[in-house]
Amino acid sequence: MAFFMKYILTILIFFPAVAVLILLPINKKNEGLLRNLATLLSLVEFIASYYLFIYFKPDTYKFQFIEKFNWIPSFGASYFLGIDGVSLFLILLTTLLTFVSLLSSYRYIKDHVKEFVILMLLLETFMIGTFAALDVLLFYVFWEFMLIPMYFIIGMWGTGKRIYSAVKFFLYTLAGSLIMLFGIIYIFIIHYEQTGNFTFNLMRLYNTHIPVGLQILLFIALFLGFAIKVPIFPFHTWLPDAHTEAPTAGSVILAGVLLKFGIYGFFRFAIPLLPNAALILAPYIVVIGVIGILYGAFVSIVQKDLKRLVAFSSVSHMGFIMVGLFALTAVSINGAVYQLLNHGIDTGALFLFVGMIYERMHTRQIKDLGGIAKKAPILTVLFLTSVLASVGLPGLNGFIGEFLILIGSFRSYPVLTIIATSGIIFAAVYLLWMFQRVMFQDPHDQTAPYDHHLEFFDDMNLREIITVLPLIILMFLMGFYPSPFLDRIGPSVLHFLTMLNHHKILYNAIKIKTGLSNA
Amino acid sequence: MHNIMPAIYGLNSLEKSMISIIPEAVIILFAFIVLFLTFFEKIAKGKNSYYLSLIGIAFSILYVVMLSGKNLTGFYGSVVFNGYDVFLFIAILLSGFLTVLVSKDYIENFDVPYPEYYSIILFGISAMMFLVSSNNLIMVFISLEFMSICAYILTGYIRGNTRSTEAALKYLILGTFASAFLIFGSVFIYAAVGHLNLNSIHTYLENISYVKHGSASILNGMGEYLTIGLLLFTVGLAFKMSLFPFHAWTPDAYDGAPTPITSFMATGIKVAAFAIFLRIYLLIYNFNVINFNDILWILAVLSMTFGNIAAILSSNIKRLLAYSSIAQAGYILVGIIGGGFYGYSGTLFYLFAYIFMTAGAFAVVIIFENSDIVSLDVKKYSGVGYKYPFISAAMAFFMLSLAGIPVTGGFMGKFYVFSAAVKSGYYWLVFIALLNSAFAAYYYIKIIVKMYMPDKEDSSVSCIAAEGKNYGIVNGNISEGIMLAIIICLFFTLIMGVYPQLFINFANYSAASLCKI
Repeated sequence: MAFFMKYILTILIFFPAVAVLILLPINKKNEGLLRNLATLLSLVEFIASYYLFIYFKPDTYKFQFIEKFNWIPSFGASYFLGIDGVSLFLILLTTLLTFVSLLSSYRYIKDHVKEFVILMLLLETFMIGTFAALDVLLFYVFWEFMLIPMYFIIGMWGTGKRIYSAVKFFLYTLAGSLIMLFGIIYIFIIHYEQTGNFTFNLMRLYNTHIPVGLQILLFIALFLGFAIKVPIFPFHTWLPDAHTEAPTAGSVILAGVLLKFGIYGFFRFAIPLLPNAALILAPYIVVIGVIGILYGAFVSIVQKDLKRLVAFSSVSHMGFIMVGLFALTAVSINGAVYQLLNHGIDTGALFLFVGMIYERMHTRQIKDLGGIAKKAPILTVLFLTSVLASVGLPGLNGFIGEFLILIGSFRSYPVLTIIATSGIIFAAVYLLWMFQRVMFQDPHDQTAPYDHHLEFFDDMNLREIITVLPLIILMFLMGFYPSPFLDRIGPSVLHFLTMLNHHKILYNAIKIKTGLSNA
Repeated sequence: MHNIMPAIYGLNSLEKSMISIIPEAVIILFAFIVLFLTFFEKIAKGKNSYYLSLIGIAFSILYVVMLSGKNLTGFYGSVVFNGYDVFLFIAILLSGFLTVLVSKDYIENFDVPYPEYYSIILFGISAMMFLVSSNNLIMVFISLEFMSICAYILTGYIRGNTRSTEAALKYLILGTFASAFLIFGSVFIYAAVGHLNLNSIHTYLENISYVKHGSASILNGMGEYLTIGLLLFTVGLAFKMSLFPFHAWTPDAYDGAPTPITSFMATGIKVAAFAIFLRIYLLIYNFNVINFNDILWILAVLSMTFGNIAAILSSNIKRLLAYSSIAQAGYILVGIIGGGFYGYSGTLFYLFAYIFMTAGAFAVVIIFENSDIVSLDVKKYSGVGYKYPFISAAMAFFMLSLAGIPVTGGFMGKFYVFSAAVKSGYYWLVFIALLNSAFAAYYYIKIIVKMYMPDKEDSSVSCIAAEGKNYGIVNGNISEGIMLAIIICLFFTLIMGVYPQLFINFANYSAASLCKI
């Protein structure tokens, strides 16, 4: 046990990779075994990751479960892992969603099952690694390689224009990452010139002093890498394609985990490494975020494709999170991090339901759907719960996050926050309207084939209920009782702001402190 | 100072000189042994020449390892052997080893004599090693010619094949042209400084620039000659390194040559050319006669941009890899431009990584190649991913490595050279190179798309193509030699990406002995 606790992060990162090695010798015809074993192993991984939560000390901002070994001494790169309150929950979200999406794919993924489960587990390794890495080069390695399994998942099991979407996703994010790499190399060299040491240790790179003008250029470089991943409004165009064509499991992981990396990158890397640039550019980014909220909402309203609608709603929700993060008050950042988790759970659940409907109706066009509520009461209730959570109904998790974000941002940007608030109303419009059309609409004007499908529409089976149940439970839990989460996120966020405070140019230092005391 | 004469002409000196070229001598010895096999008709058709070549290369590696750590000069300073050579000898020998491994099943499909083929490969390897270790302008020229002649013969080795012959002819004409530039450049350099030995030239230039801080004007009016000489010399070597705009032979020669030879040209010849360029660059160019870094800057940017654009447009996989190798040459050049100990060691590291990813990719190409030219089309690869999972995974890995995605040697190499260039202040160069990498990913990904995500309509076509006779698939089994080559390449590419420190240490050791003039 002591060994387990000491190297828990390494074990969590590489357990899925070991699971891949276990799965490799199994004959690919033996699909049932492959699926069950992979799902079981991902469940083991999730349970193991729960130990992080148990043993995590909530009263400190310091990184915990630290592991540090030399990796490439010539570059000063080390195998340096550690988590704080933010990465803790993101890792838990990753392990949960991997399990959920593996469980959800029993019906959807029919061919190349072996490749699919292997890629999913491989993806999990790299996702956890990215959240746990505190060495910038290590982070980059995990971050970039993560693209590959996702690219295969979209391209091999996607629908429609899957290859186009997969290649677009890959090239878009790769271009962003490479520009980000330029920024990382630059910071690395500046640190070398100042201290005479090569290091990728994040804690040391935080202390690099970079002239403000240069900081802005470097911030733009890092911004492109992270913003494409988030994605923030003009860089979002890969997202609807990738989400729409990806298989359900891919969409869940993409929306639930991969989009979080952009925000996490800002939180962990871009803002603390380049604090002055972040402070100067924050208002503009908040503006972009607000544009993203409204743009995503408007585009969602007019979508004809159910999955595309959910995908565009992600753009809107991620806009909220960006506003919360760049408002740079303790409350709003807490809210942003909390909303990250909520978005992963809510949108993940929405994609699961969209997938279930697609599996049964073989269409995602909203006009062809309708009348499902009569056929499948369980699905209707659970789907409605997720829709309402995503809309931000009080009592469900989405409300807490959005409320914190808006309250926190109001102190810094009152006008923009008021505009952003309208995004919640629009969310209600597009999501509830979608729900009404898909579930209740009279299916009288439908073409015959889909009528036929509707006749045989079966309700959720036990596996599907088990798939979504953890997410539904979390929606209520996080809506009613957020403090176990916020308690652990809080110290890290406070420390994040204190680090910003150290940089004297912080012109609204007082605002942040008061913002905190009011919370 | 007594008995200088015996020291120069004595047996001792010759012995010492011989020691400094033992690795090359071993290869030449084996080349002759293999060549003599031709006399015996029974043996000639067998596999002996193949195994003998592998043994010869293994022996040579053994000698390189035994000699490592020594600093030897031979033949009156025209050949040197030090840590720099150890690194590059091993790189070249491994490249030759991989070439021989993938050759057997390829060459047996043609009615050509086998022993000569292997012996010319061995001669080519020894020529590359001579080129790397040469320390004299004449020696550089001789070994470069030796290497090129081997390459011309091998390119046109498949008798009666028009593409092969055409490629050889084009290569010969353009290559000879390049050699003319090279020798002309040497003449000008000699005219300017009066020395042929690289170290002497270095010392001469150093003394002058020590006496007077100036540039071209100081060399008693000979500065222009030196400038012209160095420029011509650069042109001559740029041909071999296939940098834009001296790349014109590359796609045709790479396309027409037998694929193992293409692999050999893309790895061995390129590495040898870069190695000697790096040595000469460090010894001579570094004196700012004119700012050569600016010229190289332009060459690097043009090479990678042109290479990538042309690769995107090509559908023949050999041409695609040829253009990609032009682009890769541009990236490698970034390390040389970046310069300094860090940059040179990065360049060497990248060269090493480049060998394995390129050789691995060509090995996979050989597997699915056959006498039909369509077999080289990228379309051929559609759906291969499910039929040959291991090979396709390996190919995907090599492609990702060439594209510079992490966990591969290609990424670490790129990171190394780019950070060296940033360190020296070449921000725009690195920025352009990174944009190019993003751009280049498209055509590497294209192959992966074909392998794993076939379109409905062309999957039927490809399945038929994949069923047919292929060079690398004998009776439904993939040949062991090629398999072994792929495994070696995969191993090195992965290790260099996951734990590069071992190779960085090796490259550092090599670069240190290069910089210690």
